[in-house]
Formats: sequence, structure tokens, C-alpha cells
Amino acid sequence: MKTRLLTFISMLRDAGLSPTVAETLDAVHAVRLLGVERRALRDGLAAALLKDEADRPAFDAAFDRCFPLIGRQRGKGERREPSGDEGSGAAGRSGAQMRSTLPQEHPDPTGPNRRSALQDRAPTLHPTQSKHNRLLVGRRRLRAILFAQMSPQDIEDCDELVADLARRFRAHLRRRQRQAWRGRLDVRRTIRWSISKGGVPIQPAFRGRRPGAPDLVALCDCSHSVATATRFFVSLLHPAHTFFRRVRLFAFVDQPIEMSVEDGTLVPHGQLDLYARSDFGRVLVTFRERYESLLNRNTILLIMGDARNNRRPPRADLLARFRAAVRQLVWLNPEPIERWNTGDSVMSTYRRACDELLRAATIQELHAALRRCLTRI
Amino acid sequence: MTRTPEVTPELVRGGLQKALYLTTPRVETVLYLALALEKPLLIEGPAGAGKTEIGKVLAGTLQTELVRLQCYEGLDEAKALYEWNYQKQLLRIQADRAGDQEWSEVSQHIFSRDYLLERPLLHAITAPHKVVLLIDEVDKADEEFEAFLLEILSDFQVSIPELGTVTARHRPVVVLTSNRARELSEALTRRCLYLYLDFPGVEIEREIIRLKVPDLDAALREQVARFVHGLRKLDLRKVPSIAEALDWARALRALKIQELDAAAVRQTLNLVLKHEDDLRKADGKIGSLLAAASRRGV
Repeated sequence: MKTRLLTFISMLRDAGLSPTVAETLDAVHAVRLLGVERRALRDGLAAALLKDEADRPAFDAAFDRCFPLIGRQRGKGERREPSGDEGSGAAGRSGAQMRSTLPQEHPDPTGPNRRSALQDRAPTLHPTQSKHNRLLVGRRRLRAILFAQMSPQDIEDCDELVADLARRFRAHLRRRQRQAWRGRLDVRRTIRWSISKGGVPIQPAFRGRRPGAPDLVALCDCSHSVATATRFFVSLLHPAHTFFRRVRLFAFVDQPIEMSVEDGTLVPHGQLDLYARSDFGRVLVTFRERYESLLNRNTILLIMGDARNNRRPPRADLLARFRAAVRQLVWLNPEPIERWNTGDSVMSTYRRACDELLRAATIQELHAALRRCLTRI
Repeated sequence: MTRTPEVTPELVRGGLQKALYLTTPRVETVLYLALALEKPLLIEGPAGAGKTEIGKVLAGTLQTELVRLQCYEGLDEAKALYEWNYQKQLLRIQADRAGDQEWSEVSQHIFSRDYLLERPLLHAITAPHKVVLLIDEVDKADEEFEAFLLEILSDFQVSIPELGTVTARHRPVVVLTSNRARELSEALTRRCLYLYLDFPGVEIEREIIRLKVPDLDAALREQVARFVHGLRKLDLRKVPSIAEALDWARALRALKIQELDAAAVRQTLNLVLKHEDDLRKADGKIGSLLAAASRRGV
């Protein structure tokens, strides 16, 4: 039984699940307690090893292959509990799948089965999964998919997720602000209040912090390659605008154009040539000429862009100059990290002039990056 | 003090039956495992499928207290673990001022158990007997809190700087529930046994209605179970929970409705669906849902 169990675990690993040693031990304990009655075995192993319902199809496939039904048992009853009426169809299908691999008692995990197991792996949707589960898998996928690989449908689906994250982000900022206010004892008022209690400071007074909300200036690359990322960047950022004294958004391709958010859509205040070639150097020059007065010690400057400069002068000296002027200069790059500095990307040149360079290639990373750079204010 | 009964599969089954909690063998197996292995149990699934109820059932089964911690955004250690009772400490200092006590003596006093406000987590750990600790909707809490929870779930001990380390006398039975508002960290899921609790099938739901609303006509019961089951398959904003199905059954009984027809459904559907959009969407489907509910029902 022990070897059988270990085979099973290595099959799970091949299928893309990652049971740890501790979980393996749990599985062993579970088997010892429950015995080998097939259904109990399946449920017990699932409780110990399967930590995400989205992986259930992969788990069931591996289980059926490793602990096949014998002789008469096969095909009659004793399937997993149907999680809905559509369960029977799917069960039939995986039953056929199971039979095709039956002849091998101990399938070699490195054999041809490996590939099919990998293909079974989530995030493909399985018909037995309930609606909630589908939503859950879908969201998990959306959070982790690269902006560059999103289909138009994905982008549409993302809107709800982003709205949700934006709400959480806002709540996070509000809480940080409240926490920053709390806990600063106002000694003078505490003592004054205590006089009426015979000198006992029974009710401490706390200082209400004068809101020193920073200014936020965001420069967003709107060229075709990163437009999706910019869109979500703004939708995450905009609901939080009340936490800043002033928020100025600029869109650019080769010129910075101020923009605003009206009814959830971006409205540039001028002609934005979306078909121009990105020119970060020129954007920085123009920005200095027209808007440098926005930058001061109270400003956080965010730049969202892939630093693909079409081999034009990067003018990182201007970026360094901005950095000296502002409180914080953070660059968010919507490309996956392995693409930085490839081709015409001059990320490393700009990196030296930034306080921080953060990854923002997926919604999850973008959200984490914003939380990271904006909640320390 | 009550003695904790020995954990057997029969105990779990009995407890579930006594609490009128009907479920699948899978749930029984996993609950038994969680109790026998003394591992925390993470339950995920749609809202209203009975996740929280499991904590209550376990407490009933073990004949012990249920300590509940409801998570929300911004929950911190002071709310979940402990806080010093500042006012009481001050009073103590004032009282001690009358007699001349050394500062060291006073400070020893004011940082003792008496001046500690126990929050649910500490309460569960220090309880003199085994309790069931239900950490509800853990996905609503922040990542930081989750990390902090890890420490407690792995060792069942808490270090309080002024007091030292408090170790659990009895490992509490821990049940965590989650709706997946966000991903839980792998570190947390690794430490728990996992149970995915979906809505029950038609048969089980019918039995649940039979148990909780006993005097409802059998045919009507069948129809209600099937209708609700059909509703859950529609693409709704909020699918009806089991509790809502029960409410509906009770309402039908109170209105003395003998058989589910389109008029009766329209009259009472707002008990099951709480969103205007959902109601509108379901309204167009009432006919087909009813047909499906009645076809095999009679």
C-alpha cells in the first residue's frame, strides 16, 4: 500500500499538483485510519492532498489510474457523487479514459501518460464543476494571465474582477490611514480630560493626524502593446483618488497628454496619437517643459510603461532629475520580467533612476505593486 | 468539566444526524479525519451551502463550546487574539498608589491574566477543555492576518511579550471557511485538510426539507427541491442557499399552497431570489423550470 500511495503521489505531481511531504504524511495517516474502502480512500486522500477544487479532475484521473476498479465492480455504481445532474455524462467520459489506461497496473510516471495528465490540468474547465467553481477557476486564471495574452473576452471578464480589487485597494488605503491616525497619543488633551477624573487619564485622547495626503502623478503608456495594462492600472487607481490631495493622470505615446476619468472611461484632453512610435525620451522632455511644477517633495510619481523606446535617446538624466524632486518615483513594467531589456527595451537604464521598479505583468502583480508603493505613504 | 468523547466515524455520523445535518459520505469522512488527525479543516464552497453550520455541528458532536471568529478586512491581532485592558490597569495603579507599593510589584500585577482581554483565538487556546474554533470567512481578512494565523495553527501557542508563551492545554478543533474572495496562501492550505462543500443534490436537499419542514406535502417537497436545483443552474448573481430553500418551503406551507404553479412561484419567488436582475431572469424561465420540476416529481 505504501508504494502504491507513493506512486499515486508522484502521479499527482506529474499532473501538476504539488503535494508536500507534510501532506503526504497526512495522506498516510488518513489511509491508516480509514482503510482501503475505495470511496473513503478517495475522500480521505482528497482531503489531505487536494487543496483546490479546481484540481479535482486531475486528482480523480490520477486516482482512477492508480487505484483502478477491479472486475465486476467496474462500470456499476460507485462513482464519485454527482455534483449535479450533468455529472453522469462526465463520469462516463472519465470512465472511458480510465479503461484505456487500465492495462498498466503501475503506470510509469515518466511514460506517455505524463503528457495527457499535464493536458488535463486546470485551468481547463470541467463539466462537473458547479457555477461557483467555474467562476473561481476563471478568476484564478484572470488574475494570473499576462496582459499581453488576454483575449478581448478576457479583458471584458476582467472588469468585474478589477472593480472588486479596486474596492479592496480603497478599503486598504482607508484602513492604513485610520491606523496611522490611531495610536498617536495626544498628551496635552489626555491630561486635560484626566483633570475631571481626579487626575486619572482614564480616557486617552489620540491625535487626529492632519491629512498630509500626497499628490499623485501618473504617466501611463498608451501605446498598443501596453494599453490593456494601462486600462486596468487606471481602473485600480482611480477609485482611490480621494486618498490623495491631487491626482494628475497623463497618457503618452510620444507626447504626454493629460487625461481624466469620466464615467469609468479615459478621456484625454487633447490629441493622443495612438499610432505614433513610443518615445519615452521625448515624453520626459515635454513633461519637464510643461508640467515640472507638479513635482515636489509631496509627490509620488508613477510611471507605467514597457520602456520600449524604439532606439531613441532615453534621457534617463531627466528621470533622475524628477526623482530628486519627488518623494518617490516608481516604475511599473507591464511586461513579464524575462522580456525586460530585450530588443529596444531600455529598462535597466531607467531602473537606475527610479526608487523602485515593480513587476505588473498580471492583474495580481499590478494590484500587489500598487499596494506596495502607495500604502507606505 | 465535560469529557471529550472518543472520535470514531460513528460519533461523527451520530453528531450529524442529531444536528439534522444531512450530507454526503465524503463530508463525513473528511470531518472524521479532521477530528482524528487533529488537523485544521478548511472548507470552501458557495455561500449558503452550509459551511459555517459544520462548525456548529462539530461543537454539538463533541459536546463543547463553539468559539467563533468572524473575519473581515482590517481584522488585527487586537481584535482576534488579545488586548490589554488599559482602563483596568490604570485603576489598579491608582488603587495601589494609596499603599506604597514598589513599582516592580505593581507592574507585575498589571501585566497579568486579570488585565488581559481575551479575544476568540486566545480564548480557544486557553480554554480548560477542547473547544471548536470556527474561523469564518478567512478570505475576507488580509494577507498579514493570514500569516499571523499560520503561527497559531501550526503550534497552537501564542507569545505575549509581557506574559510569556501561552500554550494550548487542549488542541482546539479548528474549522476555517472561505468563499474564495481571494486566493489563500499555500502555506495555509498546506496545513489544513481541505473540503469543498457544494450544494447538495436534489435527493439530499429533499431530505433536508423533509427534516426541517416536516409537515410539507411530499409532492410539493419534491417540486421545491427540483425547482431550486434548476434555479442554481441559471446564471444568477446570487444563487439560492439551502436556508432560502427552507424559507421558501415554510412560506409555501404557511400560504397553504398545494401545488407549485406559475402563479404561486411568482407570488413567492422573492423569498429565494434577492436581486431584481435575478428575479427578472428567472421569471422568463419559470415555465421550463416548473416542467422540469414536475416531470419526475409525481
